[in-house]
This record gives sequence, structure tokens and C-alpha cells, in this order.
Amino acid sequence: MSGANEATAVRVRGLRTRFGPQVIHDGLDLEVRAGEVFGIVGGSGAGKSVLLRHVLGLLRPERGEIEVLGQEIARLSERERYDLQARQGVLFQDGALFSSLTVAENIQTPLRERLLLSPELLQQLTRLKLDLVGLAHDACHKYPAELSGGMRKRAGLARALALDPEILFLDEPTAGLDPIGAAAFDRLIGGLKRSLGLTVVMVTHDLDSLAAICDRVAALVDKSAVVGTLEELRNLEHPWLRAYFDGPRGRGALAAAGG
Amino acid sequence: MRGGAAAGAPTAPGGAAQAAPCGRSGGARRAMMDAWLTSTRRDDRLLIEAGGRWTLAALAELDRRRAQLLAGAPGRGRASIDLQAIQRLDTAGAWLLDRMAHDLGREGWQVEWSGAHDAHAALLAEIRRLPPEPLPPAPAVNPLARLLANLGRSTLAALAEGARLLSFYGQTVAVLARVALQPRRLRLTSLTHHLEQTCVNALPIVGLIAFLIGIVLAYQGADQLRRFGAEIFAIDLLAISALREIGILLTAVVVAGRSGSAFTAQIGMMKVNQEIDALRTLGLDPLEVLVLPRLLALMIALPLLAFFADIMALFGGGLMCVFVLDISPDQYIDRLSAAIWPRTFWVGIVKAPVFAFLIAMVACYEGLTVEGSAESVGRKTTLSVVVAIFLVIVFDAIFSIVFSALGI
Repeated sequence: MSGANEATAVRVRGLRTRFGPQVIHDGLDLEVRAGEVFGIVGGSGAGKSVLLRHVLGLLRPERGEIEVLGQEIARLSERERYDLQARQGVLFQDGALFSSLTVAENIQTPLRERLLLSPELLQQLTRLKLDLVGLAHDACHKYPAELSGGMRKRAGLARALALDPEILFLDEPTAGLDPIGAAAFDRLIGGLKRSLGLTVVMVTHDLDSLAAICDRVAALVDKSAVVGTLEELRNLEHPWLRAYFDGPRGRGALAAAGG
Repeated sequence: MRGGAAAGAPTAPGGAAQAAPCGRSGGARRAMMDAWLTSTRRDDRLLIEAGGRWTLAALAELDRRRAQLLAGAPGRGRASIDLQAIQRLDTAGAWLLDRMAHDLGREGWQVEWSGAHDAHAALLAEIRRLPPEPLPPAPAVNPLARLLANLGRSTLAALAEGARLLSFYGQTVAVLARVALQPRRLRLTSLTHHLEQTCVNALPIVGLIAFLIGIVLAYQGADQLRRFGAEIFAIDLLAISALREIGILLTAVVVAGRSGSAFTAQIGMMKVNQEIDALRTLGLDPLEVLVLPRLLALMIALPLLAFFADIMALFGGGLMCVFVLDISPDQYIDRLSAAIWPRTFWVGIVKAPVFAFLIAMVACYEGLTVEGSAESVGRKTTLSVVVAIFLVIVFDAIFSIVFSALGI
């Protein structure tokens, strides 16, 4: 069931991406260990979201190998890919909830698709997911357009968690949230990671998130990735990293986290 | 494959739980074979053992086992739940365990846990912390009451919509007057862009449809009139119906479907992206910037397209006459000039700007009333096309009545 290396959740080797003449990644390597919160940072256009789309199998790389939960995604059959998808949850930037369905129906979509469950069990599981992400029960019959940005993210997270995935991918989970909401979301992710034993991979701009919950960080610079703990990255002499961590916001966030 | 899995599943000691698989997930099939829930009764002690992979995939069957277990365990005393053998526990499994303990407690059992791994115990504690109350039910109503309420609501909504549409017409006319006084405010670039989109790019489809309809009219007319030996009058039929009605009506319907829907979708997406709000905050009037160029472009385009459609219909009908009905080109031209007056043409073409106004107004109005979601854009676009075609036909009927009253 699991691959050769149980402790590696995601492994990217020699990834090369090109859009027309523009090379986004070239020889990018990184490894996400099982059970950690892994942050991906980088300037605008550095290819953070593109990397995430590669790992999710939404984009095919020009060159390189990507393994998720020990399975190389380029070589999977339809069926294996379908099974793998049940083991990973994704939260897109603005939740990407299906706008024609209520929150409850959104959460139930993956459950209905994959399992035969009684209406009562479906209800109970929906309630459970709503509670896990801290969404009030009366939100469940609302449509996404009726929710605030923060609530949409939580509802999207509940849908991502519907199948109890082993890995959770988050694309800019705190973008567009106020600082209080963002901090609460960080705590939520940290708490879920601990209680559910999740591996979390998050693309983020948010230094506070990095400092608060990420175990290790990959910085996408020069078409490749520099991976390490926040502390290690701070001590590297790369101009982009220096500018990122030593800017006024970087120092503030790290100071607040006791770094 | 579902049946095969059920038949082939080995029975683990004490009754293996078996999930209802959806038939697709191999992981689910494996998981269901090794999740179990057993109980033994010893006087006032109930020993419950849970083991295997307590995951979502096995949930349905484990839930059935839980119900059986509870049904077979009336009485009171001490119930201990041993989790030693659980290999994997997810939130669904933890919820089920918690619920079982809860139900046992209600029956009068004193529940104690044993053997849980640290991670499992933490997850269980987390689940236990969550509030137990069920989800509020979806608001349910009597179907008859709902039908009546919907009827009333949509009647009121239609009336209000009509009033708003009328006020939108008024506003647009006011903006039109303002721009007429200050022609510099007219956005020429936008106007020509929309002219290209709605007029030039529509030529092929409008021309093709009119050409085919011309053929059909000539052929059907000749077929019927042949019985009276009046085949030649098929040309009258073709010319009058094409110029007065068919040319303009068909063009209007095509334009409503093609350009009306595009206007609604464009403006609707701009509304969703808050571009309309951005325009307003910049002191730009969306009516002037977005609606007016589209309206004027369509009012210029539709008469031109209708003219083109007329010509193509006469051309198609003429080809049919010459090649199939054995009428010579000279005869066709003679008959055509005898059958129609300039008035015949003008009666058709005069309707074009009115139809264009209706289509553009409805399309822009529906676009501006889009709210929030992609679904709303789709709904409004459909509505825009349906309402525009409906209004075009209503106004065509009104024109017919007016023209016949005037004796035209």
C-alpha cells in the first residue's frame, strides 16, 4: 500500500517547467516528510502555485519526477490516480466551493462520489467536518456566495477533509483574511495536523504562518528550491531570502514568533 | 464487483465488518476486510473489542455492527472498549467510537476505554470535545404552500423586474441624451469594437441562415402554388415575406442569441469581478461606458444585418427559382420588381433599430443584475436571450397591428 519510504509524503526530483520560452522551474528538488507542515514561499511568478499544480497532477512537467505518498503520479493508471486522490485533500485559494451547491452539499460531494453512506451517516459526517473546521452549523444550508471569505475557506477546508486525507495541500490559506482570522486559521491548521496526524503542504506569502506553524520551508529562488527550517533559511546569504526575511514585515513576524 | 467482494470477503473472528464499497476504490475494499467490532458479555461486564482499520471506507458496515451490538446489549454495568487492535483511526472511525460510547452510556452502561494508542487517544479526545448537537434540518415546507409562495413570489418579482427594466430604459435614454449633447463623451473605440463583434463577425451566420430560408420559402411556395398553375407567384411570396418579416425577425433572433448573450456574460463577469464597482468609484458611469457603446453598436448593426439577410434570402430564393423551378433570371427580376415596393423593404427594416434597442437593453440590464457567482452569470445569460426573443416577437406583433391599421 505504501511506497518504499513511508516517511516521505511528497518527493519532487529534477522538475523542469516551461511555459513557451519562459522556464519556471529547472532542476527543482524537494522532499516533504510525513507528518510535517511544509511551507512553500517565493516571489510573485516564482512558480509556487505551478509547483502545487504539478504535485496535484493538474499540470504535467516537462521533465522530472513527482511522487506523492510513494507513488509516482506520472505513471499512475486512472484507477490508481482516483485512489490516490482520496488520500489527498486540497484547499484552493478562495475555497473553490461549487457555487450551485450548499456548504453541506459541497462537503458531501466527495463522500457521495466514493462511498455508499446512509443519509444519517452523511449528515453526521458533515456535522463532524463543520465542527473540525470551526464553522457554525447554521452555515451548512447556505450557498458559497452568502459566506464571508474566511467562512468560504473553512468550508473549503471541510470539503478537503471530507475523505480524511493523509496529505492536505493549501494554496495561500491565509490570503485575504484579516490578521485575527489568519492567526485563527493558522491555529486551526496546526491543531488539525496534530489531532489528525496530517501532512500539510502550504503555499503561502504569509510570514506569520511560516513562523507559527511550518516545520520546514522551501523557498523557490533561481528556478529551484532551497529547503530547510526557517532558522536555516534565515542564515543563508541569498539576496532574495535576505530581502524576504530582513524586510520590516519579515523581522516583525519572526520577532513575534520568538525567533 | 460489489457482489464479488461481498462473497469473497473472509470472516474475521467474531464477525468482520464489511464496508459497502462504491466499487471503485481498491483501498476501500482492503480496508473493509480488516475492521472489526466484537463484544462478549460476562455478567454485568461488557467487553467490546474494536480493531483493524477504522476508517471512512469501512464506516457504513461498522455503523451497522454498532447498531447490532447496541441492540444485543440491554442492561447495565461496566462496559470496556478495547482499542488495542486498531491499526488506523480517522475522524470518521473516531466519531463512530465516540457515538457508540455515548449510546452505551445512555443505555446505562459505565463506559471505560483501554488500550488506545497515543495518537488514537488524542484524536478521540478531540472528537469528544466537539459539540454533539445535530445539524439543523434544511428548512422544509408543505409543497402546496411552496408552490403558491413561489407563484406569488415570481409574479411580484416579474412585476418588479418589469418596473426596474423600464427605469433602466429611462436612465439609458437620459444618458443617450447627455451624450448627444456632448458627443465627445461617446466612446468611439468601444463602439467600433462592438460593431465589429456584432455586425461584421455575424455576417456569415446571418447570411447563411437567410440564404437557406430563402431557398425553403421559394421551394415551399412554388410547391403549393403549382397546383393552381401560379408557380410564378412564389416569387411574390418569397419577396414579401422575406423583406417584411422573415429577414428582420430571423436576424433579430440570431443577434439576440449571439450578441445579447455575449453582452450579458461580459457585463455579468465584470460585475462578479467588481469591475463595475471600480468604474463607479473612478467616477465613470457604467451606463455610459459599457451600455451605450453596445446599444449604439447594435442599433447600427441590426439594420445592416437585416438588409444583408434580405439580400441573401432573395439570392437563395432566386437560385432556387432559376435552377429548380425553371424560371429564368430575367423573369425572376421582372416578377421581383413587380411584387415589391420600396415600402415593402422599409416596413421590414424600420423595425430593426427597435429590435436592436430591446435586445441590447435586456442584455445589458441582465448583465448588470448578475450577483456573486458563476451560476448567476449563466442564469442571467439564459434569461437575457429568452426575454429578448420574447420581446422581439411581441413588438413584431405590435408592428403588424399598427401597420395594418395604417393600411401599409
